[in-house]
Amino acid sequence: MKKTPALLASLLLALVARGALPAPDADNGGLVLPPGFRAFVVADNLKPLRNMTVAPNGDIYVKTREAGIYGLRDTDGDGRADVIKEFGSGGGTGIALRGDWLYTSTDSDVSRYKLTPGELVPAGAPERIVRDLPNKRQHSAKVFAFGGDGQLYVETGSPSNAYGGAKDRALGAKGEDPTEFLKHHGGYWRFDPDKPDQTQDDGYHFSTGHRHSTTIALNPVSKQLFVAIHGRDQLNTVAPQFYSEEDNAENPSEVFHLLKDGSNFGWPFTYYDPRAKQRKLNPEYGGDGKKLAEPGKYDEPLIGFPAHWAPMQLAFYTGSQFPAKYKNGAFLAFQGSWNRAPKPQKGYKVVFIPFNAQAMPTGDYETFADNFAGKAELASPNDAAHRPNGVAVGPDGSLYVSDSSHGRVWRIIYTGETK
Amino acid sequence: MRRVTGLILILALAACSKQEPPPAVPRDEPHRNAPSERVAAPVSPAPAAKVEITAATPPVAPPGGPAPNGEAIFTATCATCHMADGYGVPYLQPSIKGSAWISNPDPQLLLSLILRGSVILGEGAKAYDNDMAPQDHLSDAEIAAVASYVRLRFAAVPIEKPVTPAEVAVARNRPGLP
Repeated sequence: MKKTPALLASLLLALVARGALPAPDADNGGLVLPPGFRAFVVADNLKPLRNMTVAPNGDIYVKTREAGIYGLRDTDGDGRADVIKEFGSGGGTGIALRGDWLYTSTDSDVSRYKLTPGELVPAGAPERIVRDLPNKRQHSAKVFAFGGDGQLYVETGSPSNAYGGAKDRALGAKGEDPTEFLKHHGGYWRFDPDKPDQTQDDGYHFSTGHRHSTTIALNPVSKQLFVAIHGRDQLNTVAPQFYSEEDNAENPSEVFHLLKDGSNFGWPFTYYDPRAKQRKLNPEYGGDGKKLAEPGKYDEPLIGFPAHWAPMQLAFYTGSQFPAKYKNGAFLAFQGSWNRAPKPQKGYKVVFIPFNAQAMPTGDYETFADNFAGKAELASPNDAAHRPNGVAVGPDGSLYVSDSSHGRVWRIIYTGETK
Repeated sequence: MRRVTGLILILALAACSKQEPPPAVPRDEPHRNAPSERVAAPVSPAPAAKVEITAATPPVAPPGGPAPNGEAIFTATCATCHMADGYGVPYLQPSIKGSAWISNPDPQLLLSLILRGSVILGEGAKAYDNDMAPQDHLSDAEIAAVASYVRLRFAAVPIEKPVTPAEVAVARNRPGLP
């Protein structure tokens, strides 16, 4: 009998934790969602945002592109951030939690902060884990993830379109020999997550042959890493004799791959044509829109997303709030295109990627959250209301999304209401 | 040799330090992607003077053909990065609306930029992620047409005086900037 109030209290707490979702915004923060899903704005008009992560206590950490890291906390249970603190500096893209450590990357380093339980902002200075990665502005974001082996996997992009030398991106660009270049660019490197001040050469060169990847996440079931890669631009600028505006707008794929030791994704020699479902030679290396890549030489994509959508953060859905079909599938934010012009721009959405019982993608994907751009027909990224960049799953199974243009953070919840 | 060292220094600086990228687009002014002054400001760019890249021999224009269409060349060559409205892409490629390079009544700086690419901007090029390649594959007549078009359309005050192929030839044959 004595125990009853305590038992009741803990039951109540459990109910509150599980059942009481915050009230969504009437307009879902401007998003269009599948039936039963609602959304609301957690914070708005922050600086341009990049990747994000949510701590077990619900605190949100989101990178700014040019400045520090925001810590967002809701203190009154309405889901909206009441405490917004910015700490650190240097901008960048990557952020992830590992135990009490908050890892973060600029365009040249990976560092970590020790979090104090209960405190939103870390007390001490960051500890640098990887330093002086190549940074030549173009494709300089350094995303990272922790593998099934607990190691730190960090991307270094290729500051290039198709390694076309001084005329890269221009008419008649000719590919050069990328052998030396690829020794320090266009791949993932593996590092010890606890060892300070490692350089790229201290890391293990894990994969090669990609242009730029801002997407990496660990599958919670198979403990394998999956990545997406930004395909090349401007096929019709470089080789208008082979590619029309339409061909360029629809080529090449933004590809989705399993990241394996020794993976080679075929850049700068090849690209993946999503309509033909074939890997083709880049015009910088003798391609004409038809010539195929040497078979078996490069990893085959698991999904060929439409061209130029710009895949950003990937998050596997480990929560239980959403319907069962979402469990262990993945959400991927597409920041949206610019190089489809003069065709309308596309992307600007979060898609859901179903994974099968073997923890592999089925090959399909579906639009999950849409209307970030705020209009049906978009001529230029400048005209978009928002551009989704970060996605993260919260402790209660809500999905959070960040905005790289106007600093909005959304939380998407499943209420089951269908009006 | 000294020239080469200077160029390497510029490239090394470009690799090491990152200038603050352009600010985000203010909500109610969706077109103000980034102040074009960021790239356009240096009317007499100091470091760029060291970059003495000689542009390639001009392609031979077809004799007796119609005069090149500046708008068509802009659409095919420039708009892919600077966008059809000239406002660029945040962080990647600058807006050219009101650019000082375009707005200068003397076309020589603009012509050098078209012929030699963003390398002549020196430090200024670091405000955006992507480099502009030299567009010296265009003929003098084509560059004159597209320069005339952008001066009329994107200069702070529209410049009606057309650029001539002879002026392009001057820019092409000059080693470095005016």
